[in-house]
Amino acid sequence: MKKAILYINQFFGQIGGEDKADFAPVIREGKVGPAMEFAKNLQADITYTIICGDNFMGSNTDEAVKTILDGLEGKDFDLFLAGPAFQAGRYGVACGTICKAVKEKFNVPVLTSMNVENPGVEMFKSNMLIMEGANIASHMRKDVAAMVKVANKILSGEQVGPATEEGYFPTGRRKEVWLEDKTTAADRMINMLVAKLNGEPFVTELPIPKPDRVPIAPAIKDLKHAKIALVTTGGIVPVDNPDKIQSASATRWGRYDISHTMRLESGVYKTIHAGFDPAAANDDPNVITPVDALQELLKEGYYGSLHPYFYSTVGTGTTQAEAARMANEIVPYLKEDNVDGIIMVST
Amino acid sequence: MVKEFEKAGFPIVQMCNLIPVAKTVGSNRIVPTISIPYPLGDPGTPKEEQWKLRMNRTKIALDALATDIKEQTIFKVS
Amino acid sequence: MKLEIGNFYVKDITFGKELKFDNGVLTINKEEALAFIKEDERITEADLYIAKPGDKIRMCPVKEAVEPRVRLDGRGLFPGYEGELVRAGEGTLHAMKNCSVLVVGRHWGGFQDGVIDMSGEGQKYTYFGGLNNIVLVADTNEEFEKREQQKKNDALRHAAHRLAEFVGKCVKDLKPEDTESYELEPAIKRDPKTEKLPSVVFVMQPQTQMEDMGYNTLAYGWDMNHMLPTYMNPNEVLDGAIVSGSFMPVAAKWSTYDYQNCPAIKALYREHGKTINFLGIIMSNLNVALDQKERSAIYVAQIANSLGADGAVVAEEGYGNPDADYVGCIVALEDAGVKTVGLSDECTGRDGMSQPLVTLDEKCDALVSCGDVSDLLVLPAMETVLGELEALGRDGMAGGWAGDEILGPSVREDGSIIMENNSMFCGDQVLGWSTKTMKAF
Repeated sequence: MKKAILYINQFFGQIGGEDKADFAPVIREGKVGPAMEFAKNLQADITYTIICGDNFMGSNTDEAVKTILDGLEGKDFDLFLAGPAFQAGRYGVACGTICKAVKEKFNVPVLTSMNVENPGVEMFKSNMLIMEGANIASHMRKDVAAMVKVANKILSGEQVGPATEEGYFPTGRRKEVWLEDKTTAADRMINMLVAKLNGEPFVTELPIPKPDRVPIAPAIKDLKHAKIALVTTGGIVPVDNPDKIQSASATRWGRYDISHTMRLESGVYKTIHAGFDPAAANDDPNVITPVDALQELLKEGYYGSLHPYFYSTVGTGTTQAEAARMANEIVPYLKEDNVDGIIMVST
Repeated sequence: MVKEFEKAGFPIVQMCNLIPVAKTVGSNRIVPTISIPYPLGDPGTPKEEQWKLRMNRTKIALDALATDIKEQTIFKVS
Repeated sequence: MKLEIGNFYVKDITFGKELKFDNGVLTINKEEALAFIKEDERITEADLYIAKPGDKIRMCPVKEAVEPRVRLDGRGLFPGYEGELVRAGEGTLHAMKNCSVLVVGRHWGGFQDGVIDMSGEGQKYTYFGGLNNIVLVADTNEEFEKREQQKKNDALRHAAHRLAEFVGKCVKDLKPEDTESYELEPAIKRDPKTEKLPSVVFVMQPQTQMEDMGYNTLAYGWDMNHMLPTYMNPNEVLDGAIVSGSFMPVAAKWSTYDYQNCPAIKALYREHGKTINFLGIIMSNLNVALDQKERSAIYVAQIANSLGADGAVVAEEGYGNPDADYVGCIVALEDAGVKTVGLSDECTGRDGMSQPLVTLDEKCDALVSCGDVSDLLVLPAMETVLGELEALGRDGMAGGWAGDEILGPSVREDGSIIMENNSMFCGDQVLGWSTKTMKAF
């Protein structure tokens, strides 16, 4: 039989209420509290129950996580469960924190449950499956049953279905699904159209997510002494594409020395971007990476200095995660050279 | 990518044609370019004109980096 | 404007002495058909195959699909492209159903070319995996683009259209099994009952983003990059006025077959007079520069308003920057008071975590999603490969790669493949066949 380990707080661990919230983590052999409820239908044996005070996890997070991870070392388990945490904020965050740490360290699937109002949902939903739970503990049985249903799929290696069908919070991942009833896109379009025209309810297949913003970096104070770097997603590379950057869905980037290059010559540089007509950029790569203009403006003293390399990759089809990774791989080079600002040319 | 560079503390200006895309991905400093395949020089125009355009837009981009902004800003190109 | 399509259901295809259709069996004289194809001197090598559902056949690089048909008045199937430039959308044609002519490169592929499997897990990923296909595998003397990632495929695409016409001739004098009739009365002369229904336009955005000529979708042979949105009768689209182009990651592509049989148009026709008043098509396009995108959206919204449309459906051929045309057009229509539904696919990346369209707007509140171009597929080897499988990894096809640190090459030594859905020939079936959708996980 497969094995699972459950994390719960001091209250459900029968240590005590708010007065025991500073309780340091312990790993108990066997089933404590909600573990009994899980055990009814879970297709795994709950071998250990971890109990930790919510305040201890909240204010001594590193120590709590370390104690638990160290305690789990050498223990054999196929699934890590936490909660359900209902609307209890500190408990929810604790479940998220420990699930994330266990998943990263032991590469074992994790599962928890929280109410939509629990701050742990926003913090951790992109990292793990969080079942959408009730607000108060009187719904324990229902929330545990929902967790067990998904847990058993994970244990048996069965695909866990879409968020709305399984009852967890969307992780931000969207994947294609074959419709069992085989309703064609044309028929779905008609249904949605007629409903929308008649003011009846309909469900879009692509809900528009809320935009994600970063704080604005402060402006360069003195352009005359600023060091500028040039980055492009337009796929400009030396003609032999030495870094083998892919022409779509890129996972690679390259940097090319322009410290003595007054302009990018045709035949020396080209674009490998597959998303547009490459003729113009191949004929004059400076139309995407304005090395010629930057060198001239440097000569004129318009700005201080030019970072000796330009950086290039391809934007089309490239995942945001890959793009973020590539950017973060480039950042150290820019920091090392004390770059003050970046010009990014996108196609 | 733009967001990651900005998160790392670098002011960054995105030169691009598809302003709606730049706005959606959360670029804060945006300078419009003339097209996707040739952002900074229309091959249908004389080389001299392309050069003028490129110098102009690059200057605007540099100025954008040195401009304090309070919200997502699309810098005007004449 | 009335178009009648007499249907002949193809149950089997064989090679034989003469071209004929008898009792559901299409017989083709291979030599005769090949001789006809080779009349185009650009074709240097050609062979003909049959690929039916269940066959252990993989095709790659597939370039175009066309339904075999014949016009009873004798005019060409694709006016302005193959044959005289005359108006399409009226009269009678005979069509061979469950059957398509496919053209496959003998060697060379590109971004715009795809894969079709006739059996196994991959079969359902293209519409053509379920059809009886006449497969032309050929090479050409178009040396200038042999190694180009973007190919015009001009000779091969013409060959597909010509072969469809050549084959279709055998049902000209036969009696069809059934007949579909499409007639849209003039927009301002409809019966009172229909006029009371909410009126709807169908906005099509075919791929036209190549500035160089020869790659884009054609309207009566005219490169639609050089066109502003215009009003069209849906019958024109069903009757060969629109010919598919050769520039698009192929999963998002609409082949000529898709236009000839466009399920979205047929669904709107079906509802016409029942739940909606179908006004017709606003034929738009996809552009490169932002001002071009905006100009097209302005035209579309204006035509919709001028026609008095209450609602619209916008369909996009493509993903990536064309999403800006798609979202921009929907927003322009919504801003103009037209309730709009969108039809497209998505690109969420191999991890599924990326933004589904490159631009988003909350006004797009009714979207139908037909699939994910970046979905990763692993498909077993097939007994027979028509074309050259190496093209998938070698030639910059949209969903293939030569090597990958983690995934290895797209084309494996044992003949199995790993690729993104991106390379499935017209895989996302955005014009309405798709039984895929996208869900949040």
